[in-house]
Amino acid sequence: MSTENGKGMIQLEGVSKWFGDFQALNAVDLAVDRQEVVVVCGPSGSGKSTMIRCINRLEKHDQGRIVVDGIELSDDLRNIQEIRREVGMVFQQFNLFPHLTVLDNVTLAPRQVRRWNKAKANEKAMEHLRRVRIPEQAHKYPLQLSGGQQQRVAIARALAMEPKIMLFDEATSALDPEMIKEVLDVMEELAESGMTMIVVTHEMGFARAVARRMVFMAEGEIVEVGTPEHFFTNPREERTKQFLSQIL
Amino acid sequence: MATRIDTLEPIPAPERPPQRRLSPREWARENLFGSWLDTVLTVVFGLVVAWLVYRLGKFVFVDARWEIIERNITNLMVSRFPRDELWRVWAALLVLGPSLGFGAGSAAAARRREAEEGRAAVVPERASALRRLGPLLLLVGVLLWFAQSFQATLLTLAVGVLGVAGYLLGRRVALSGRRTALVVLLGIAAAYVVVTGFGGVGWEDWGGFMLTILLAVGGILLAFPFGVLLALGRRSSLPVVRAVCVAYIELFRGVPLIAVLFMGAFMIGFLLPAGVERPSLVTRALIALVLFTAAYVAEIVRGGLQGVPAGQVEAAQALGLSHFRITTRIVLPQALRTVIPGLVGQFISLFKDTSLVAIIGLTELLNVSRNITAQPDFIAQGLIVETLLFAAFVYWTGAYWMSRESQRLERRLGLGER
Repeated sequence: MSTENGKGMIQLEGVSKWFGDFQALNAVDLAVDRQEVVVVCGPSGSGKSTMIRCINRLEKHDQGRIVVDGIELSDDLRNIQEIRREVGMVFQQFNLFPHLTVLDNVTLAPRQVRRWNKAKANEKAMEHLRRVRIPEQAHKYPLQLSGGQQQRVAIARALAMEPKIMLFDEATSALDPEMIKEVLDVMEELAESGMTMIVVTHEMGFARAVARRMVFMAEGEIVEVGTPEHFFTNPREERTKQFLSQIL
Repeated sequence: MATRIDTLEPIPAPERPPQRRLSPREWARENLFGSWLDTVLTVVFGLVVAWLVYRLGKFVFVDARWEIIERNITNLMVSRFPRDELWRVWAALLVLGPSLGFGAGSAAAARRREAEEGRAAVVPERASALRRLGPLLLLVGVLLWFAQSFQATLLTLAVGVLGVAGYLLGRRVALSGRRTALVVLLGIAAAYVVVTGFGGVGWEDWGGFMLTILLAVGGILLAFPFGVLLALGRRSSLPVVRAVCVAYIELFRGVPLIAVLFMGAFMIGFLLPAGVERPSLVTRALIALVLFTAAYVAEIVRGGLQGVPAGQVEAAQALGLSHFRITTRIVLPQALRTVIPGLVGQFISLFKDTSLVAIIGLTELLNVSRNITAQPDFIAQGLIVETLLFAAFVYWTGAYWMSRESQRLERRLGLGER
């Protein structure tokens, strides 16, 4: 599978999306390189989540093109499945499967989709659980764990499919303050390991430390894109300044 | 009285919340005779209950003429089933006992394994098997009491011993869930073949309690998957599938079961193309029960499906799972466990509603218990009370057992934790 222009991993071109009469995305253009970490911020309702949910077709975009690792997203089910296999996602509400143990949560997709046998899936799963530092919880059920632990399991579950891209949709917003750090630490390590990531977050400290590029969205549009230094110290747009003054 | 705070002795912090121990006398005073009104209510209802218990007890243990049950116990159990072939029923029970025991033992071993890994919601109690079977053992005891037959007692004991042996073997072998289910299903199939196969008695000639069991178990096993499919179909994205399922569900929920049974008895024959052999009356009754129950099961399951958060499906989609796998691995397991109480309630209904097949001429338990009062020895002696009481007791033990098992299942699956 060849990529269209060199090292590009994700391209969004003129992507628009409506919910009824409400336009959630307005001609969004964004290109993400291989191994790049992009942090998306903006006020609530600005279309951040909608944008990344379009990338793995949890939402269907109405206009424009989305290309992921050289595969253009279309209505073809096989094509969608192919993209979903390459894109891992972590949700605000964890969305772990409560009726399965931690280990089964992590091995389910590799066994069903990648067709790994049980031994291989378990071995890989334990590797990922060690990576997020909770191998000892493998046989528990999700609801027996704390929020931070659950979110780390969710990260391990996404990683188990060996995706090329990870999407984080406000992964720490539902966590108690003392648990945010343990999740951010895992995300930071993941970024350092060279994973291509799009992170929707309000954690500006994390953004400053990890982001290669910042994207600021408002009212369904990308208002400003830049390096963290530029973005935090010298933003161009009025709306960006206003937003930053409110949250910093 | 002004006590200065700093002079008070510090109260040692209790390690457990304080508990009041009441003597029976204190308990009675507090709960039964707490006030003037309480005392009146206690006395009045106490007298009413005592009167009822006395009358019922006197009837059951003194006045009732149970010989009508004693002489007809075989009729009540199997009705028109040929007496020469009764050995097949015992043989089937001798097959069923160990295979069901094996299934229970294997499942118990799996639960224990879970508990040892520290992930069971409820640690299984030891030696609970006997208590679980309580209502059924009571039923068997009463049946044997009425049968007053050495042979039947011996054979029942043999079934029990084989069942226990199967249970112990199951605990030892501890198969996986799927294989355990396979062993149990094979056991049921083998028992069925023992009765019907090799010149045996097809179910069109079954009767009595045996027919009741066939209709109830067959009805549950068929109505459940059919109902689940209907529930899924009602949520399908294909408009035609959805419309068909909605129409089906609304049609069958809008018609009384008796009407469905009549239609089953008289219309299925017409609907079949010429030359196709008409299914037996028992089969038609079973079809009617399944069609009816499936509509209710579908609505119960739909409630459970709606309770599964959208995020569960999204997470599964994001992992690349197919629509089929999302339904079978993620949505259904969660939906079904929340609707266990409703489902079991529906199955208990079905178990009792099998008595309605009497109306199309099948001789199941209730029908037999009415018919035997017309025997020459018993006619016009008002013995219907005895026979109905007996039938009610048999239904009650079965229904109560199902209800208790459903409560256990809920606890085990940790319902309420989500």
